[in-house]
Amino acid sequence: MNLSQAIGLRNELRNNKVIMAYNGAVSDDLMLTLADLLKSRMLAQDDPKRSKTIFSVFMEGVQNLIWHGGDNSDTSGMILITQDEGLVTIMCSNRIAQKDTLELRERLSQIVNADKETIRQLYREGMSSSNEHEGPGAGLGLLEIARRSSQPISYAFVDVDKDTVDFILAATI
Amino acid sequence: MLLNIAATERTPEIILSSQPAKLSIKGESYPEDVSAFYGQVIQAVNTLVETPEGPLDVDIQLIYINSSSIKAIFRIFEGFDEYRKKGQNVSIQWLADEDDDIMQELGEDFIDRFPNLSINTLST
Repeated sequence: MNLSQAIGLRNELRNNKVIMAYNGAVSDDLMLTLADLLKSRMLAQDDPKRSKTIFSVFMEGVQNLIWHGGDNSDTSGMILITQDEGLVTIMCSNRIAQKDTLELRERLSQIVNADKETIRQLYREGMSSSNEHEGPGAGLGLLEIARRSSQPISYAFVDVDKDTVDFILAATI
Repeated sequence: MLLNIAATERTPEIILSSQPAKLSIKGESYPEDVSAFYGQVIQAVNTLVETPEGPLDVDIQLIYINSSSIKAIFRIFEGFDEYRKKGQNVSIQWLADEDDDIMQELGEDFIDRFPNLSINTLST
């Protein structure tokens, strides 16, 4: 990247009110560092209830990247946070195997248009389910994010090649 | 003292004692390895279930809890329910900051999942 491209990228970030952007491998240490940053820099100016909601969505989103992000050589993780007119949007992206998207797509289609009461019911059912394949949170994290969002969550799958796909999830609080 | 785990920045203080049977969980909960952290607690509670020690008194006061910790706490509640099924009295206090909607709602979710357990949600 040359200087003018960097300036272009900076303008993009500014125009889109990006307050945090990360691209690369996502580790537990990184999560703690960014969580501290988020707490001290952004949440200080917000009210405590909202701060906690934002923190909760951030943590679930990033933990999802850690659990489904492959090993340390997987540098395809992305965390993007924007703050525009009082709305905070947290976007997380990771690269997953095509074969793993079926269950995820099914779960997402179930919750994306569900009302808050349905999400809460699914959440309660999810508290007891134990599906090791889904990671330690086994789908509960996704429901936590949906439950805390003030708008319906949005998501996309972007094909990388025939075996892998980039999954991106956005939640607004 | 069956368990005495000091709090860290990301794990709660956990104290489990017998005679009288009492469990207290207080603090943050987003351990790096949830199975390792809560495995010992689930095991200790299950041991207590095997050899009941009279009424069990539980205090839970969490600040932030991640979804995988919630599933571990659910397993611990299953232990409480087993203890109750042995004819023992189980009394659970779920404490949440009065401004903390997330923890208050989670308390209601546990009440919904364990209708036979005595769970009181209290604001602090």
